[in-house]
Amino acid sequence: MDPVYLDHAATTPLREEVVEAMAPFGARTFGNPSSVHRWGRAAHAALEDARAELAHAIGAKPAEVFFVRGGTESDNIAILGWCESHSADGTTPTIAVSTLEHHAVLAAAESAQRSGRARLVKLHVSLDGKLSPDALRVALAAKPTLVSVMWVNNETGMILPIGEVARAAVEAGATMHTDAAQAIGKVRVDVREVPVAMLSATGHKLQGPKGVGLLFVREGTSVAPLIHGGGQERRLRPGTEDVAGAVGLALAVRLAVQEMESEARRLSALRERFGCDLLARIPGSRINAGVALRAPHVLSVGIAGIEDGAALLMALDLEGIAVSGGSACLSGAAKRSHVMAALYGESDDHATIRFSFGRSTTLEDIERAAQATVRVVERMRAG
Amino acid sequence: MSRVLVAMSGGVDSSLAAALLVEAGHEVVGVTMKTFCYSETPALSKTCCGLDGITDAKRVAAELGIPHFVFDVEEDFTRDVIDDFVSEYAQGRTPNPCVRCNGHTKFRDLMARGRALGCDRIASGHYVRIEHGVERSTILRGRDSQKDQAYFLWGLPPALLPRLLFPVGELTKPEVRARARELGLVTADKPESQEICFVPTGDYRDLLEKRLGSHPALEPGPVVRRSGEVVGEHRGYAGFTVGQRKGLGGGSPEPMFVLEVRPATREVVVGTRDELLQDEVVVGETNWHGPVPAVGDVLEVQLRHRSPPVGATVEEVSASVVLSLAEPRAAITPGQSAVLFQGDRLAGGGRIVRAGRTARVGTP
Repeated sequence: MDPVYLDHAATTPLREEVVEAMAPFGARTFGNPSSVHRWGRAAHAALEDARAELAHAIGAKPAEVFFVRGGTESDNIAILGWCESHSADGTTPTIAVSTLEHHAVLAAAESAQRSGRARLVKLHVSLDGKLSPDALRVALAAKPTLVSVMWVNNETGMILPIGEVARAAVEAGATMHTDAAQAIGKVRVDVREVPVAMLSATGHKLQGPKGVGLLFVREGTSVAPLIHGGGQERRLRPGTEDVAGAVGLALAVRLAVQEMESEARRLSALRERFGCDLLARIPGSRINAGVALRAPHVLSVGIAGIEDGAALLMALDLEGIAVSGGSACLSGAAKRSHVMAALYGESDDHATIRFSFGRSTTLEDIERAAQATVRVVERMRAG
Repeated sequence: MSRVLVAMSGGVDSSLAAALLVEAGHEVVGVTMKTFCYSETPALSKTCCGLDGITDAKRVAAELGIPHFVFDVEEDFTRDVIDDFVSEYAQGRTPNPCVRCNGHTKFRDLMARGRALGCDRIASGHYVRIEHGVERSTILRGRDSQKDQAYFLWGLPPALLPRLLFPVGELTKPEVRARARELGLVTADKPESQEICFVPTGDYRDLLEKRLGSHPALEPGPVVRRSGEVVGEHRGYAGFTVGQRKGLGGGSPEPMFVLEVRPATREVVVGTRDELLQDEVVVGETNWHGPVPAVGDVLEVQLRHRSPPVGATVEEVSASVVLSLAEPRAAITPGQSAVLFQGDRLAGGGRIVRAGRTARVGTP
């Protein structure tokens, strides 16, 4: 039997349309967008078309969209680039991040703190998805302040109150950044409706290419580049542009946004059914952050009485079901997740399985996954 | 065929072990243990347990078309192996972390995880053989006497033995390399690793200093003869092991060797080669793969990885076991293993608590 891929929050396959759209860029339309000749012009036109397409999909102006080399880079430029441009005169800016952030945000903010370039405030998030108002108030009282809160949490699917936080930030004169890697194409993301100053995303979470990401920087927001070179991407991210990647990213985002409503409905239904099935068949199981508003493509399940969460994932792989616990680390060894610790405390004794769905996911997939999960859990509980 | 969990270090032996199991038709699952945090060590590429070991193991597994996982045993390894290593040196003994790891961390974890993964067998690339009898399973020395590793496995829990497979135990090292080359395994010509995996530089004093802080084991103390005569000073007794000759300074007409380390007084006792000879060994923390030996039993004991075994009569069996050696041996070192064999068969072993000399050897 074919294995079942339920790890779409880790990465997704390129979609056919994207492969086709990217194909000409490389061998045929290979020019450097900065060149004066026709090859350069052709590449430049494709790049700017992609920028416009991407901008349109998220409600931005083309000049506010920057192509970068992936989600981690996008988050780093947003956090450290903002920090750099707001500490030039000797002030120490404040960075406030939620406790659920991806390492790309968390580690960047921590490095700014360690080197004395910024003060760091952590914003606790409750199980129902609310940010600690006191911590936010403290952070917003400082000047200047960058608030970085992810739109959708990658491990649980929790949707955080981005609109609310962004409006509070604007009111206080602070800058708001959001990591929207798991949000675009899953929930409505439009920067005309939500006053974030910066937004990060990546191609490979929505069937676009790996190694290409976007950074939205609202007009009037000051961010310094982290690396230096030529004038590409208006000096914010120098280096000869990856035209194929930009074309692929833009198309993947456009298609995901177009199909968002119907796909979200379909996946929500699958997720609900799957969740109910597991809860009914595995005593001592829970839906992580089950009371919070959640994006339709993630179902995080906590299972009591299993000490070795890593072995659970491996056992599922051997059963042909590909899933994650938290996020994968360098060596592939599973570590306790900082997100689960932030939500449920350090001493929580539930093992975590994150099932995440995509366009290819079917009812049959989740039925097989449920069966395999029940089987593995029973075996492990039996010792 | 059964599902087999094979421990892959990223070296050639365990790579071939996995390949042979695949060839034999087993459903094979490869695993590599991540024993300590690589970010704390400099980027050295020599150690086979390092991150490059994981990478190589994954490459081999991919070539063989088998799944591969990383078991993160850092917490257990730190507690059971590194902390023990440090505390043994602090007490003036010379630990053997590989023995400790096999007995306490590696195989225990393989057994627990193996059960979770539905694997009924566990395999490794050790140069030993195993005989599965009706009543019990017995580990035998590897066919290649140059490479035999039975010495390192005395601490394995006996309950685990019936589930073990050692696919390279019937081969010699050159045969292993030749087969690996034939199969085109990327690790076929990978050099052997000799260092302790968590001391990739080979200098454990750094580690002791980091973990112990200021400790008597790292402070200067007297170098004395058995007579009590002070003959020099040392930089910390943790740097010494019984039988060691290096680092004692010259000035004596006869070569001097470390006879004993006395943590209570920080003394390092030195003497002549003849004074090193001992014929009685007290062994603690014993583990038996079969029945516990009885007083009067005669076995062979191996006191160092490379040293030839010597006949040993069991004199006493209580919390510890007292062995009387058929002929005296030099440099019997507290903290090291005393491993008991009957011919090629591994009976069990323990940690050397202390050694002594009976009247048969005489008083020097």
